[in-house]
Amino acid sequence: MSLENNIWKLAEGYLTQTLSTDETKSLEQRLASDKTFANEFQEASNMLRSLNKNGEQKRFQQTLGSINQKIKTETENAPRKISLRTHYLRTAAVAAGVALIATLGTNLWHNRSQEQTSKYAELRKVRTEIEGIKQSQNRIIKDLNTKANKPAIENKYSGTGFALSNDGYIVTNYHVTEGADSLYIQTRDGSYYKASTVSFDANADIAILKVESKKFRFSKQGTVPYSFATGKSGLGERIFTLGYPQDEVVYSEGYISSKNGYMGDSMQYRLELPAEPGQSGAPVIDASGAVVGIVTGKESKSISTTYAVSSKTMLRLLRNIPQASNITLPKSSKLGKMSRSQQIEKIQDFTCVVNVYK
Amino acid sequence: MQLSLLKEQQLLEGIANNDRKITEQVYRDNYKQVQAWVQGRGGSADDGDDVFQEAMTILFQKAQNEEFRLTCKIGTYLVAVSKFIWYKKLEQQNRRPDFMPFDSGEEDAGTQHAYEDDIKVQEEREVHFDQLTLAMEELGEPCRSLLRAFYNENKSMQDIAGMFGYTNPDNAKTQKYKCLTRLKKLFYTAQVNK
Repeated sequence: MSLENNIWKLAEGYLTQTLSTDETKSLEQRLASDKTFANEFQEASNMLRSLNKNGEQKRFQQTLGSINQKIKTETENAPRKISLRTHYLRTAAVAAGVALIATLGTNLWHNRSQEQTSKYAELRKVRTEIEGIKQSQNRIIKDLNTKANKPAIENKYSGTGFALSNDGYIVTNYHVTEGADSLYIQTRDGSYYKASTVSFDANADIAILKVESKKFRFSKQGTVPYSFATGKSGLGERIFTLGYPQDEVVYSEGYISSKNGYMGDSMQYRLELPAEPGQSGAPVIDASGAVVGIVTGKESKSISTTYAVSSKTMLRLLRNIPQASNITLPKSSKLGKMSRSQQIEKIQDFTCVVNVYK
Repeated sequence: MQLSLLKEQQLLEGIANNDRKITEQVYRDNYKQVQAWVQGRGGSADDGDDVFQEAMTILFQKAQNEEFRLTCKIGTYLVAVSKFIWYKKLEQQNRRPDFMPFDSGEEDAGTQHAYEDDIKVQEEREVHFDQLTLAMEELGEPCRSLLRAFYNENKSMQDIAGMFGYTNPDNAKTQKYKCLTRLKKLFYTAQVNK
């Protein structure tokens, strides 16, 4: 045993260069003459070297981990905003001066909120007419095809929509599309596509649209990543949304604060979720990646009290339309195990701006 | 020029010595670019972090060699290596990448091979370290904790004697040598059986 210990002592001293000159000399002599010892010594010093290197790397990786943790805490405390790709910016030129959003025009809002209009001003914003804005260079379109599809500029409002299926069935709010002469959606990459209303339910404030081009797909690879919740979700469920209140997509998160919506409407949820004009029609998604509702309006006096039509109500409407058999809804969510930013990345491909021209 | 080269060399030394401040500076200067790149190619922000940390580890190992000199900026190296790592990961997951890691067009074939070699060497190193860690796990107590405290946590024999209740550092050292002998047996048997 002491002989074994001696080898380690020598190997350690040799590696750390703490052997005396005499010790080094006698070690070298023994290494040269004793093959078995040389072999043992070699193994021992290799093992020590590995242990040292392994330990050094582990400590360095700990440093990396703690830096990463530090950065994460910093960024989580900062407001989150996700930029769209640059060519989306041309919307800024098109929509210069236009504050986005739809009208307060639905019967629902008028009938129900006659006494309380001031309390409940849904996601509503100034209508501004755009006249004679000259084509700006910023509006160079990706290719001729999309250029041909470019809508003429007239009065314009916008909301958010999201995919029911990859081939262009979209859900948004009825109040976004109401009274539209023409509808164009704008996808993540900035392309415009003409769409038309397939069906709507003014009371529920839901409209189903379809992109007219048969070749249209939201994403080249595959299917809608989220699913649709068939029942009503519970109080306190954490939810998030992605919408287009401005020329870039905005993420916000919150929770379900009541199982019934505005004035006890059982087709809706009441949410604690910051929402801005233009987010009408945006998906409300739970942590597992199931759509639980569609943003529809907000209480004007509160910063973050928002209402959403439940996915259950939307599914009921979907079942009753003639095109039901053409719409293949995603069966399961692919987002369950992903981190939030991964989920957002996937969902973004399936959300769009709904531009309304009147 | 001379000044910036000198600075880069100092950064490298800092990384090699696990200098927290310098490592953090290099980390902050470069991680976002890698994260964004990976996110644009089917990965998440966390994937981006993982890939970047692997690249940092490779640089750390390379910098252990005092002779080591980078022919490009540290940032360029980290980003390029990260690209190759992510490309490889996608291949391993059978998700055929629809891009090539060297799509930036900056690097010639020679440097590309150099990046690939660096990654490969690190992979082999990791396998070796994993075997070592496994052998340490099999050691049982108190050897496992003792070796870990000395080699991974960089504790002195004095501290270890206190922690494990040895009357003096020399006794702790004798115990350490015994543990090493057992570890060596476990490790090399595992190697033979492989």
